[in-house]
Amino acid sequence: MSKVLAVALKDLRSEARSKQVAPVMVAFSLSLVFLLTFALPPGSGDAPPPEPQAGAVAVREVIGPLVWTSLLLAAVIGFGRSASAEHEGGMIEALILSPVDPAALFAGKALANFLFLTLTEMAMIPAFALFAGVGITPLWPGILAVALAANLGLVAIGTLFGAAAQHSSARSLILALLMFPVLLPLILAAAKLTSTLLLQGSFVGATHWFILMAVFDLVFTVIGAVTFEFVIQE
Amino acid sequence: MKKDPLALGVIFVAAALSAGLFAIFFWVPTEEFQGVVQRIFYVHAPSAWVAYLAFAVVLVGSLAYLRTSDKRWDLVAHASAEVGVMFTGLALVTGMLWGRPIWGAFWVWDPRLTLTLVLFVIYVGYLAFRSTATDPDRGARVAAVIGITGFAAVPLIHFSVDWWRGQHPGRTVFRPEDGPALPEQMLITVAVMALAFTALYAMLLVMRVRLLRLEDDVDRLEAALTPDVA
Repeated sequence: MSKVLAVALKDLRSEARSKQVAPVMVAFSLSLVFLLTFALPPGSGDAPPPEPQAGAVAVREVIGPLVWTSLLLAAVIGFGRSASAEHEGGMIEALILSPVDPAALFAGKALANFLFLTLTEMAMIPAFALFAGVGITPLWPGILAVALAANLGLVAIGTLFGAAAQHSSARSLILALLMFPVLLPLILAAAKLTSTLLLQGSFVGATHWFILMAVFDLVFTVIGAVTFEFVIQE
Repeated sequence: MKKDPLALGVIFVAAALSAGLFAIFFWVPTEEFQGVVQRIFYVHAPSAWVAYLAFAVVLVGSLAYLRTSDKRWDLVAHASAEVGVMFTGLALVTGMLWGRPIWGAFWVWDPRLTLTLVLFVIYVGYLAFRSTATDPDRGARVAAVIGITGFAAVPLIHFSVDWWRGQHPGRTVFRPEDGPALPEQMLITVAVMALAFTALYAMLLVMRVRLLRLEDDVDRLEAALTPDVA
C-alpha cells in the first residue's frame, strides 16, 4: 500500500513540476464545454424559455451524454499525456527495476490519474451547468456518486491502455481507438444516471446502472492489475 | 509428394458453400412476410456466429500466449482477429441490406446491431495497434492484453446497449429466444451455411497463421542482415 502511494506521489510531484497533464485536461474540457453549450438552442436552460418549459427538459436530458462524452475525450488526452511522460524520460525502466510489483505500479498510476480526472470534473461539471443554464446545486451528492463510480473504471482502462499505446507509433490515435468502444458501457451508465438525476431529482428506476458500473470497475481494475506487467515489460 | 491437409479443407469449404448457396437460391421456400429479402439471413446469421467465434479464439490465443509465451498462440490470436473483423463487417453489411427494406432504414440502434458495431471497432483498434506496434515481441504481449480486455467488455456492452433504449432489464436480458421456430428447410439451410462459414473461418485462420509466420521469418532475417540494428 505504501508503495502504491509512493508511485502516486511520484506522479503527482512530477506533475506539480512539469504541469503537463491536469492543466491541459482542464483547459481542454472547458473548451469543450464552451463549444457544446454554444451549440445548444438559445433559451434551453432553466431560464424561462419562450415556449413554456419545452427546452428545459430537453437540455436536462442531453446534458448527461454531453458531459460524459466530453470527459471521455479529456480523459483520452490526459491519460495519453501522463503515460507518455513516463516513457519519454525513460522513467518506466527505472520503475520496472524498482522493488515495486506491477500491480502496485498500476494502482499508483491509476490513483494519480484518478486525481487528475477528478480535478477536471470539478472544473468542468459546474462550468457545464453554468453555461447550459441548468441548476445542479442541490443535486451535487448524486453527481459526486456517479463521478466517483465512473472515474474508477475510466482510470483502470485509461492507465492500462495508456501504457499499452506507448508501444505503438500512433500513440494518441490508438489510445482513443482502444478506449472508446471498451468504455462505452461506463459512459452510457454515467450519462443515463446523470440525465435521470437532472430530470427527476433522484436515481429511482435507474439504480441498475450503478451495478453495471460497479461490475465494470471491479472487472477492469482486476484485469489492469493482473495484466499491467505484460504491458510495461521490456 | 507431401499432402497438405489444407487442400482437403479447401475442397470441403467449396462443397459446403456450394450446397449452402444452392439451398438458399433453389431449395429453401421463400418466407411469407419478408419475401425474398429474408434469404440474406442465411448469410447474415452464420457471419455473426463466426465473428463471435473468431473473437473468442482471440481471447483464448491471447490468454495462452501470455501464459506460455509461445509465439504460435500469438499468431492464432492475430489471424483470428483479422478474419473476425472481416466476418463482423460482412454481418453488419448484410444486416443493413436486410434492414433497409424490412425496418425502413439501413441503420437502427438495435442493441444487437450496436453490440456488433462496437465489437467491430474494438478489434479494428486491436489490429490498428498491431500494425503500428514499434517492437514485435512487446507488441505481441500488449496486443494480447488488448485482446483480453476487449473481450471482457463484451457482456457489459451487451447489457448497457440493451438497457439504454429504456427497456426494463428483467424483461429483455433473460428473454428466452421464443421467436417462431424456423421451418425445417430453413433450419437446414442456415445450419449448412453455418457449417460452411465455420470451415471457411478455420481455413482462412490456418492460411493467415502460415502467412504471418512467414512474415515473421522475413522480418527476422531482414533484421539479421541489416548491419546497425538498435
